[in-house]
Amino acid sequence: MALDPSTPVLVVDDYKTMIRIIRNLLKQLGFANVDEASDGTSALNMMREKDYGLIISDWNMEPMTGYELLREVRADDRLSRTPFIMVTAESKTDNVIAAKKAGVNNYIVKPFNAATLKSKIDAIFGGAP
Amino acid sequence: MGREAGGTETKRAARQKACGCESHSVAAEITALVNTLRELAAIRATAEDAAARILDSAEGLLALADKEEAKKAEDAILSIMTACGFHDLVGQRVTKITQTLDRVIAGRLNDDDTPGPSQAPQSEIALEGPALPADKADQAQIDALFSEKN
Repeated sequence: MALDPSTPVLVVDDYKTMIRIIRNLLKQLGFANVDEASDGTSALNMMREKDYGLIISDWNMEPMTGYELLREVRADDRLSRTPFIMVTAESKTDNVIAAKKAGVNNYIVKPFNAATLKSKIDAIFGGAP
Repeated sequence: MGREAGGTETKRAARQKACGCESHSVAAEITALVNTLRELAAIRATAEDAAARILDSAEGLLALADKEEAKKAEDAILSIMTACGFHDLVGQRVTKITQTLDRVIAGRLNDDDTPGPSQAPQSEIALEGPALPADKADQAQIDALFSEKN
């Protein structure tokens, strides 16, 4: 089932440029309800205040990394089912496996293109809105 | 270990003697390293500014590209936008270099050739940032790894 285009999406990255890129790509895919956070701690606080249908997060951030955010989300009863895509420059096999074991739904390695982001969202939701 | 330290001292003394700058060589090295850090900060700022201006233009074009004929233009604009991700990757590489130089400078200030421990917060998983092209796994390899059952 495709993700409802009105569903809030949270993009987490410490680089404003990357947030802006992902926001634009999501907009082209039909997702206009996009919020942003610059680190895992802020993202977690936002998730506890608002229901998000999808999290797209970088890994390498301070003070809370994307991996730590993923672990927190999966450990939280209310948030644990939220789809989570990691978008990161970390391409080391061990890290991909760790993210997979921690429950990430999909993993995109930077640099990426619009088609890759779309395919990963489609893989989770069965098609963009 | 003592032998290594002795060897390092000998090499350093030889270098200083060769350049005739015994009294201020360490200070000069630190100055050069600090200047390098400033250059890296400037690179990061330039990349951020360039990426922001490119995105401004691409967003402006995207707003115009709403006609049927403009689909190709839209794809090209999205490609421009995603290419702006260079700012993120450049920034991460510069950060790695900056952290290394910080450690070297700290070692020099302590008159110690051995870089000290990283000041970066310790993470449960070691992060490497962007890999060098020769070492980098591409998306297809990641996907294959990701689709494997456990």
